[in-house]
Amino acid sequence: MNKLIPSNLCFVYDGSFEGFLNSVFECFERRVFPEAMIPSSRPSQLLLGETLQVDADPQRAGRVRDGIVRRSSHRNASILQVAFLSELPGVEMLLLRYLQKLFADPTGQYWQNMLDDEVFELIQISRKVKKEVHRFHGFVRFQKTADGMYFAPIEPDHNIIKLLAGHFRERFATQQWIIYDTRRNYGIYYDLHSVKEMVFENHRIDFISGNVAQEVKDMDEDFYSTLWKEYYDAINIIERQNHRQMTNLMPKRYWKYLPEKGNKGPEQ
Amino acid sequence: MLKKLQVLADAAKYDVSCSSSGSNRPARDGGLGNAARAGICHSFTEDGRCISLLKILYTNHCIYDCAYCINRRSNDVPRAAFSVDELVDLTINFYRRNYIEGLFLSSGVVVSPDHTMERLIAVARKLREEQHFNGYIHMKAIPGASPGLVAEAGLYADRLSVNIEIPSETNLRLLAPEKDFSSVLNPMDQIHTGIVVNKEERKKFRKAPRFVPAGQSTQLIVGASPESDFDILKLASGFYRQQQLKRVYYSGFVPVNQSDSRLPALQKPPLLRENRLYQADWLMRFYEFRFDEILDNKNLFLDPNMDPKLAWALRNPQYFPVDLNSAPYESILRVPGIGVRSAKLIAANRRFGSITFTHLKRMGVALNRARYFILCRELPMQVRDLNPVYLRRKLAPTKEKQSIQLSLFENE
Repeated sequence: MNKLIPSNLCFVYDGSFEGFLNSVFECFERRVFPEAMIPSSRPSQLLLGETLQVDADPQRAGRVRDGIVRRSSHRNASILQVAFLSELPGVEMLLLRYLQKLFADPTGQYWQNMLDDEVFELIQISRKVKKEVHRFHGFVRFQKTADGMYFAPIEPDHNIIKLLAGHFRERFATQQWIIYDTRRNYGIYYDLHSVKEMVFENHRIDFISGNVAQEVKDMDEDFYSTLWKEYYDAINIIERQNHRQMTNLMPKRYWKYLPEKGNKGPEQ
Repeated sequence: MLKKLQVLADAAKYDVSCSSSGSNRPARDGGLGNAARAGICHSFTEDGRCISLLKILYTNHCIYDCAYCINRRSNDVPRAAFSVDELVDLTINFYRRNYIEGLFLSSGVVVSPDHTMERLIAVARKLREEQHFNGYIHMKAIPGASPGLVAEAGLYADRLSVNIEIPSETNLRLLAPEKDFSSVLNPMDQIHTGIVVNKEERKKFRKAPRFVPAGQSTQLIVGASPESDFDILKLASGFYRQQQLKRVYYSGFVPVNQSDSRLPALQKPPLLRENRLYQADWLMRFYEFRFDEILDNKNLFLDPNMDPKLAWALRNPQYFPVDLNSAPYESILRVPGIGVRSAKLIAANRRFGSITFTHLKRMGVALNRARYFILCRELPMQVRDLNPVYLRRKLAPTKEKQSIQLSLFENE
């Protein structure tokens, strides 16, 4: 009954998880298995088929989400959402293949079967994303500004910024902070009450080094970041040098905004 | 301040523990920070170790003269000491910038063990009570400090540790004339009892203050004295079972004091041996191995050529092959090349169908080792005939491979 018929239709959605779920709704309503599902921010010249614009519709998205929860669990629904946030090319189609099987499954156990290709791959992807979230619980570096705001730029592989909110709100409840994804150009702002999404219109930050302009920095900022760099060097044991292990655990692509690595990423 | 930080971080670095795990300290209203149960690494040093805590000495002045220690009183090194306020300020400002998970505070012994312990407690008390700091605190219990002070430290710290350093009493007395086993074991036993009693109290009164919620750990130096790996694992196993330590750390001896005739002359720290000991330690903590299964009176040292699990399997061919589609979890866990995660995946998913090589590969099983120890439909018959002599030759690294493996641990 849930059989989807392959078609050369291409869905273009707004890039959000809701938008994606809404496209899934469209697929099942039209009984089509599209050629591709693509966020509007990542336009592709390679789309050969007919394109269909799908807008976010919270109600329809909610129905798909409820369906997922009913046929698996809340936990599983959030695993799928985390995998979606990987932004890996083709993750939408992987999710659609998975959902097709999930909605057609008479046993109610499909989603637990790690021997299945789609189940296994999605769990692997969500683990990857969660690993990056865990890494950034450590790799976020705040700079204090003169008005008492703590600002941290990040450039993660996956779209994880919203997954960072809970941890930092709990830990730094008594200070205002912003964590900003410089590549995706949006961030989260905590104003001592709640965390909100935000986009800079104008700012005094050098996105290359991640540094806040000198004149808006707190007086003591350079003092503490220098102490931190000194600490980093002093704690190293030269007789045990193991550069390879260090870069495995802290890959160069993350160095860009780390003061102890001289704010130098792979390019320099 | 900069100079002090350099001297006192440099002097603290030979303590290998930096873990911030095991404590789930929830944030409090108006307070700063919390502690995450899993622990978080904030950076990694050039030697590949995790930086989680601000690991620092209160002072590197010391009245003791331990042969293996860089801070011994007979060494001519720059000395410094922090004030309580300086350490509190540094911790808070590093923490607010998300550089660290918390503080790891140790110290050389000044005036007396009790005097030193009081200074460390003063830092922790100020952090907790004046700054409302809820992050992680790891404190050293100074060997020989009085029980009252150790008990007070336990109310502020997430983790306490007392380092045994040298794995036998005879050699500890030889290398550290002012110390003996009881100065280490007494506080260790006291902390253990405190934790057990506190757990009972918290069952009755949920608001009872926590005592060392992340448990205790210790460190011992490998290669500064002649104990065998068997002696070391036996000691560690005792710590895990009797004092219920969370971790025992093994620190390959770095010869910091060149001209002491009581110490062996080493070109490089014994990093491969240290690594094998950690592998054996993992077998005891996560793989349900007993220390006397890993080594025994005939095998006193771990084989440098292969990991201890593989070595055990080759000495005990009677347990293999293991049929992955029917064997209990505990037997699967003992197969070389299969880790805790893949063993759990196999046990949980075999009800959906028979497990194939493709499944095993993507579960992360190291098939190059595991294939000789399992039953699986796809295996050719001759592989199932396990011959330990042949396998030892096949699985031990060649000269060339060995040098690659060694370079993983040494200067490249």
